Amino acid sequence: MSSFPLSRRTFLAGTGAGLTLAAGRFSPARAQAGSATLQLSWTPSVQFGGSYLALDRGYWSDEGLEVALSAGGPNVAVEPQVVSGNALIGVSAADYASAAVEQGARFKILGVGMQKNPFTIASLAGNPVREPADLVGKRIGMATANTPVLQALCTLNGVDINAIEIVPTQYDPAPLVGGQVDCLLSWLTDLPVAMTIRGVDNVTMLMADFGYTVHSQTYICTEDALADNRAAIVALLRGEIRGWQSYRQDPATAAALTMQMFPDAGLDLETQELQASEQDKLMYSPLTDESGFAWFTEETVAANVETLALLGRTVSPDLWDRSVLEEIYADGVPI
Amino acid sequence: MTRRLWPDWQSITTPVVLAALLLAWEVASRTVLADQYVLAGPLAILARIVDDAGLYGRALAVTLREAALGFLFGNAVAVLLAAIAIAIPALDRMIKGVALVVFCLPLVATGPILRVIYGVGDGPQITLAALAVYYTTLVPLLVGLKAVPPAWTDLVRTYGRGRWIQLIVVRAPAGLPYLIAGLQIAAPAAFLGAMIGQFTGADRGMGVLAIQAIRTLDPVATWALATIATAVSVLAYLAVGWLGRVLTRSAPPLILATTGGGRAVGRWRRIADPVLSLAVTLATVWGLWIGMIRVFDLNPFFAKGPGDVFAFMLGGPAAAANREQLFEALGQTLAVAVPGYVAGLALGAALAVLFDQVPLIRRTMTPIAIALRAVPIIATAPLVVLALGRGDAAMITVIAIMAFFPTLVACAHGLRQVPPQVLEFFAVFDSRRLTVFWQAQLPAMVPALFASGRIAVPTVVLAATVAEWLSTGSGIGNLMVLTYTTSNYNMLWSCIVLLTLVSAVGYALVGLVERIALMRFAPEQVTA
Repeated sequence: MSSFPLSRRTFLAGTGAGLTLAAGRFSPARAQAGSATLQLSWTPSVQFGGSYLALDRGYWSDEGLEVALSAGGPNVAVEPQVVSGNALIGVSAADYASAAVEQGARFKILGVGMQKNPFTIASLAGNPVREPADLVGKRIGMATANTPVLQALCTLNGVDINAIEIVPTQYDPAPLVGGQVDCLLSWLTDLPVAMTIRGVDNVTMLMADFGYTVHSQTYICTEDALADNRAAIVALLRGEIRGWQSYRQDPATAAALTMQMFPDAGLDLETQELQASEQDKLMYSPLTDESGFAWFTEETVAANVETLALLGRTVSPDLWDRSVLEEIYADGVPI
Repeated sequence: MTRRLWPDWQSITTPVVLAALLLAWEVASRTVLADQYVLAGPLAILARIVDDAGLYGRALAVTLREAALGFLFGNAVAVLLAAIAIAIPALDRMIKGVALVVFCLPLVATGPILRVIYGVGDGPQITLAALAVYYTTLVPLLVGLKAVPPAWTDLVRTYGRGRWIQLIVVRAPAGLPYLIAGLQIAAPAAFLGAMIGQFTGADRGMGVLAIQAIRTLDPVATWALATIATAVSVLAYLAVGWLGRVLTRSAPPLILATTGGGRAVGRWRRIADPVLSLAVTLATVWGLWIGMIRVFDLNPFFAKGPGDVFAFMLGGPAAAANREQLFEALGQTLAVAVPGYVAGLALGAALAVLFDQVPLIRRTMTPIAIALRAVPIIATAPLVVLALGRGDAAMITVIAIMAFFPTLVACAHGLRQVPPQVLEFFAVFDSRRLTVFWQAQLPAMVPALFASGRIAVPTVVLAATVAEWLSTGSGIGNLMVLTYTTSNYNMLWSCIVLLTLVSAVGYALVGLVERIALMRFAPEQVTA
């Protein structure tokens, strides 16, 4: 980053002359001017704060691309939206994407939004789970569908899964608070944040800190789209990356913007701000500081392939394709 | 009769009972359930609704619009299908069969597919609302359109008029009360359908707020939303009922039974007709299935055809393992769905009889019964689970709550469908109330009970899968959601086929019992 004290984008944003200068360079992208949809994985919240910033600050219009953000939810499957072409890029995760590839979809992971997997075991301070060994003899609330996740954690840490009682629960932290279970499998940025805001003293154990290495909030597209529509994909991801770089400077602004853009989503600022700062730990790392947001390496991919094998997924490192990031970061880290 | 100085004690019991319940609710929310995060008290709910009136108002407007459009489209389709089925009896079975299959499609699975078809917008919300209502209107309407004395249709025939005139002049007025009963059930269902539709990726609406409320441990918001949804549903229910009373002034007709049926039908046709209808129904479903994939150009990655499902469940190398997984999940679901069904039906019929015999109970309990059904399952399920534990008892209760209300409405309506001539006959003999009930009202209730018993089969399957999806994370409802993360869409479509088969077989079994019962109680309903 230090070798580019003034990146192309800050230069452009800072000087009017930059626009004239850059007009020639940008004309291919502008000629491509079109629209694309980014399929998000859940209902609106600061979870997608970087995308909201990109939209609000015109990072995509800079690219000549009009981007629509398509909300997710409990009854949305991201991969079909991308396969069907409704969305150019989708926000998925390495385990979902590799499963889809096993089922015949031709996806590529272009970038990694969350370097650390957000899966967390949340417990109450009075009966804490701080490390995997603490799970023995506990009742854990989770969707039974996530059993392979717990199995992988147990295998990685030499814990007998049969010593843990799995109680089926869904999207609700109430069973933990009400004492029906001892701990919950959840996202770090989700139920624990809600409990903290409600004043429920809780303990979190991030599974990524105990060997569970699965890229999350990954950007996926189809191989066909990458071949036929590369310019738009580069433009979309570049704007997205600029959005998340801005987010890093100021997560609170992202939280405020989320509130402003989605007044009808039932959000509250306090929760959004806490979620924004918790999320920070997952999305940025020494790796992204050095090489830029969403970056991944052969080593991180290899670690993913290993954990995915524990989840029963056979996956080739070819699923990850860094060429778009390399193109975006070719002349330095944006911003 | 002289005018009383005091208000009738009966007329004040309803407010008194309701006030007592509200008080108990408030106390419970502040004492035993205070730290459980599953129930909020009436005062806190009211304060929240007032504080966030703008937010809830906008969400309600969005959801109401989607629900209203779904209600309109769904019921229009139901009326159209019913008219065709009556006018062209040859199509009757096929229409009912295809309509049943479409109604059985689990919304856990249809949601994402509708989202792919429609893209961004409110298409899936409106479609799911329409799917939630059309069948519960179609079935009672078909019953009503047939509830005419043969003499009336004969009269039309002697004037040389055909089936369309018969439909408009004779059958339509007879079907109206049944249509109204169907629409009353449809009103809350449309609202819930629109809310669930918002789970398929919407920016705003009551469904979006509901997910947010549950995940942020905000039971006051959950119950504020439930209260609004309930109020809207109850108002819609009452409005449709009022409309019905304005429109239907005439008393139900006296239908003299002509046991043995009008037309003599040979043994060969009695076997051949149902078989032929079944074959036509299956062929139509098959055609719609493949046609939908072709017309919307759905990608084979997630849109699986009959061949794929056959290979997955029967033909392919992993078929045995797949079947084992499917049937294990189905077994979990049926273990709660069947008892829930029986309990819901029994409760509905028993309450209808109780309401009819004891008007006091009817007045106080009716609003509670409507509310109980209209409160969204996502608000009630955690409460029931807390009360009964994370076992089967809680799920059975949730399912029974979902199933009992349509039965109650239909049976209560059936009990009132006794022609005045019949009641006069009993009055002449100074019969006891129980005798009237046993010999006149109960037979009048039987067709309604069975009609709602049939509809309740797919309703219960839907309720069970939705509850498993949203609240317990088990059974076939959860297996279907699992496929979003594993992209195992063969599994998803196989679940759809299996659930539809289960619903259809359950429906046919209830239909078989119904036929036997109707031969005795209401032969005019039995068609060859």
